[in-house]
Amino acid sequence: MNKPLRIALTKGRLEKDTVGLFEKIGFDCTSLREKGRKLILPIPDANAEAVLAKANDVITYVEHGVCDIGVVGKDTITEMGGKFYELVDLGFGKCKFALAVKKGSDFYSGFGVKTVATKYPNIARTYFESKGMDIEIVKIEGSVELAPLLELADGIVDIVETGTTLKENGLEVAEDIMPISARVIVNRVSLKMRQKEIENLINLIEENL
Amino acid sequence: MKRYDLLTPEGTKDFLFEESMLYRSIKNKLDSIFRKCGYSEVVTPALEFFDVFNLNSNYFPQEDMYKLTDSKGRLMVLRPDSTMPIARMTATRLKDATLPLRLYYNQKVYRSEPALKGKSDEISQMGIELIGSSMRMADLEVCVSAVNSLEAWGMEYTLEIGHIGIFKELVGKLDVDDDTKEEIRKLIEKKNFPALNDILDTLDSSGNSSTIQSIKKLPSLFGGEEVFEKALKAIPDEKVRFILDDIHSIYNDISSICGEKGKIIVDLGLVNKTDYYTGIILKGYLQGHGDKVLAGGRYDKLISEFGYDVPAVGFAVYVNAVANAITKNENTDSYKPSVDTIVYSSPGNEIKGLQEAERLRREGETVENALFETLEEVREYAKEKKISKIVVIDDDDDNYDDGMEDNADE
Repeated sequence: MNKPLRIALTKGRLEKDTVGLFEKIGFDCTSLREKGRKLILPIPDANAEAVLAKANDVITYVEHGVCDIGVVGKDTITEMGGKFYELVDLGFGKCKFALAVKKGSDFYSGFGVKTVATKYPNIARTYFESKGMDIEIVKIEGSVELAPLLELADGIVDIVETGTTLKENGLEVAEDIMPISARVIVNRVSLKMRQKEIENLINLIEENL
Repeated sequence: MKRYDLLTPEGTKDFLFEESMLYRSIKNKLDSIFRKCGYSEVVTPALEFFDVFNLNSNYFPQEDMYKLTDSKGRLMVLRPDSTMPIARMTATRLKDATLPLRLYYNQKVYRSEPALKGKSDEISQMGIELIGSSMRMADLEVCVSAVNSLEAWGMEYTLEIGHIGIFKELVGKLDVDDDTKEEIRKLIEKKNFPALNDILDTLDSSGNSSTIQSIKKLPSLFGGEEVFEKALKAIPDEKVRFILDDIHSIYNDISSICGEKGKIIVDLGLVNKTDYYTGIILKGYLQGHGDKVLAGGRYDKLISEFGYDVPAVGFAVYVNAVANAITKNENTDSYKPSVDTIVYSSPGNEIKGLQEAERLRREGETVENALFETLEEVREYAKEKKISKIVVIDDDDDNYDDGMEDNADE
């Protein structure tokens, strides 16, 4: 038996959805359901083991090849970039990147350079670069919605799911930037060296979506 | 002001002792492989004018290069690659040399990698360039050298081949602008099937363009020999058929020579960005290393960008990556530098001691001279450094070995 395929899962909601998917395929995910504080968990009948990590770390582990496969959101992939294969759109974890502003205000009015607050500076920069627009980006770690309310920024670039948080804080979506969903990524060397195993797993995943 | 006098810049490091020895031993092996095939070493400057890497076809994004200015204010870069400087050199100093030229290099390249990703900015590369032949035999020769360069480390390896011509031929038939072509290339490179299908579907609303259908399949066409048959079915194109036959025969030839630790695979979706490649593409992998350890291919148009129209093919071995794979797979203690003997000369016998050390070296031992006042200190030092033999030179003529055998097996 080969050494198990190592799959990095993004902790939290994507982890739960992925475990759900694995159970639908028929894998025994007991260890994942009752994980305690363990970080590497066996999935015996898939000859695989799951590693639980933060989204950014999933990409880092897969890029370095210490994990063969990763499940991570398109938001993190776009923000971090990196060299790996992006094979499947899992379709869950759906939301979108959007530009949001204070209700009723026009982000593009006037000639001054606009300030945008975001947790995703690369996505914000690339988006406004594609519009040929100079903007000032302020990186915020916590609730980005605060920045326009405190008048630090003219708008925010953030993940929008239902829009409730925006609404409750007097903000609204001005423009959609891109849709987001969970993706399966694969290390470039692993895909070639363990093609059969990975293709089997990918096929099972695609059949059960 | 913060001072950085005790640190090396991010992405660089010092190489000490066994690590340095390991690199040297890797380089010596490659050196011998390349030289025995008739390749001659060339060295190009670490500093080049920016213009060398800023040709019409932008192979290297400028943000990936380390830049500085010379005393006249001209923009320079630390070479991010060795093939382009060698192309420049071939087009100038070797313009009248007899072809084919077989050149090899052993030098570092510098790339500005994103911070905090654990990647090196200073990369040791050794590679070959076979310039002046577009024969199939030239491709084959370089493939065989690539196999030898992968086989040399005694672990399982994989050589992957592809051909950029297939992508170029297919995408050339699309009536789209360069940005879209680049977007398609990126998605094929990432094997991002969902996004690739989306973008191609917008180009082909009817769904019956055979070119579009072929491009959609490109990233899935990788694996063993079965890929060729699949590709012939998936891509109904005369030129592509010709290319496929060509690399299929190379695939078979190479498979027949590589030993049981080797495997040849094919990926028709190999379409990397910094590719000046025009034909066959090579990538090499070693067991246990998460990235390629070898990369190369045929580049028939690159040297002509410097004004000398001559075909070429070659590859580079990433010495750092090979060292990494070796370190993961085997114990590297044998690379630790070791000293067999230390010679202690009592006061007044220094020259005698140095001569005795020389004599022992001629016999093949590695010998240090003791730089201590007393024999007691020498013993302590020898114990610490695991030197098993101490030779004492004093006023008597009979030099003797100090009893240190108990160190030998420590």
